[in-house]
Amino acid sequence: MKSNLTFDKAFSDLTKLVNQIEDDKIQVDTLSEKVKEANELIKFCETKLRTIDSEIKRNNK
Amino acid sequence: MPAITKLSEIVTELDELIRGKFTGKSFWISAELSGVKKYPDKRWCFFDFVEKNENGETLMKGVSWARSYQNIELFENSTGIEFKSGIEITCKVCVSFYKAKSYPQLEILEIDFAHAIGQLELEKQKTLKRLIAENKTIKYLPDGRYRTINNSLELPKVIQRIALITAANSDGQRDFKKVTITNKYDYAFSIQEYLTVIQGKTASKLILEKLKLIQQENFDIVVIVRGGGSDTDFAAFNDYELANAAATYSIPILTGIGHDRNTSIVDLMTRQLRTPTEVGSFIIERNMNFEYELQQLRDRFFEAVEDLIEDRKETLIHFKQRVKNLHPTTILKKGFAIIKSNNKIVTDPKNIKVNSELQTILKNEIISSTVNKKSKNEKQSDI
Repeated sequence: MKSNLTFDKAFSDLTKLVNQIEDDKIQVDTLSEKVKEANELIKFCETKLRTIDSEIKRNNK
Repeated sequence: MPAITKLSEIVTELDELIRGKFTGKSFWISAELSGVKKYPDKRWCFFDFVEKNENGETLMKGVSWARSYQNIELFENSTGIEFKSGIEITCKVCVSFYKAKSYPQLEILEIDFAHAIGQLELEKQKTLKRLIAENKTIKYLPDGRYRTINNSLELPKVIQRIALITAANSDGQRDFKKVTITNKYDYAFSIQEYLTVIQGKTASKLILEKLKLIQQENFDIVVIVRGGGSDTDFAAFNDYELANAAATYSIPILTGIGHDRNTSIVDLMTRQLRTPTEVGSFIIERNMNFEYELQQLRDRFFEAVEDLIEDRKETLIHFKQRVKNLHPTTILKKGFAIIKSNNKIVTDPKNIKVNSELQTILKNEIISSTVNKKSKNEKQSDI
């Protein structure tokens, strides 16, 4: 998954995928690819919600 | 040698004189405070009342002993104004003579809150008017709120990187961190603390400096919190410069300044929540809301995928049925026949001549025949 992905981007990408499928704009041949993509987006959000690079910092500058 | 009068005799006489004149009397006065010294553990407070008039200044000693000290506390808690030098108060006093120091003094009996609140409100309104006049991006809305660049900024869907402006070791700092860091959903936060004094003369300037530092970093939001019962001075948050900077600040600001009575101008220019705990809960809820929407979206996605597969399956079954229906054996079963000539199915009778050999294939039998006559089928539907 791309490293510069954000919550907003992931969410809008997922929304797009849902709309495409709901509007029947996806070929069955590419369905498994789309499912994989959606799963990755969901996993990205769930993981990112619960992990962060830096912990609490104190700044007294 | 003249008769000597002891100082103490004079003091006693003065004391009696003042007692005789002022016992049982009280006065409402309006004056500025100066030289305020508080002793909260002893519940004493000493200060000067100053009245500016045509003669310059009239000054009298003022005092609040244990029995009236609660007036000061009540005043501070009700108005949000610190009882300190420089403020003007209207209060009821009685006159007494302080024998130990030999001076007359005024003891506070009651303080007029309304007057103090009125003064503060007047100041606030003046600052707000100036903000609107001088900063075109600040709009006063019909519902009494203010729309600014800052409080119109969209909040990120998920809040994680937080700049926290607060006083070191304060209740506000502790409460906010408790709610965010130890949340039961396990959401991760990066909280960078910008510690400063949050009340007093220099507070607004110091907070402003912190905001400038924060702007250089990459944060989702800025949180300003304070709390605790002894915090009474909100003046910093009614400061013109700070309010103006907050109104146009490029990162959303959430305040939890912890006062129900007064909404400060900074609160009006940003997003106000009552307490540090409420700011923390707001952030957690926002992240929860995102996760909920994400789950909704996931459910919709997989439902749509299932529907799609189900739909394709049905189409396939339908096709199969059609293919079956069109199969020659199905057709023969229905009573139709296939005609062959020279082992080829006849699709165009043009090539069939009189005396041609034909095979008529029926469900159970094949009939061989010779053509003895050909004519046009005039009524095509007449079978």
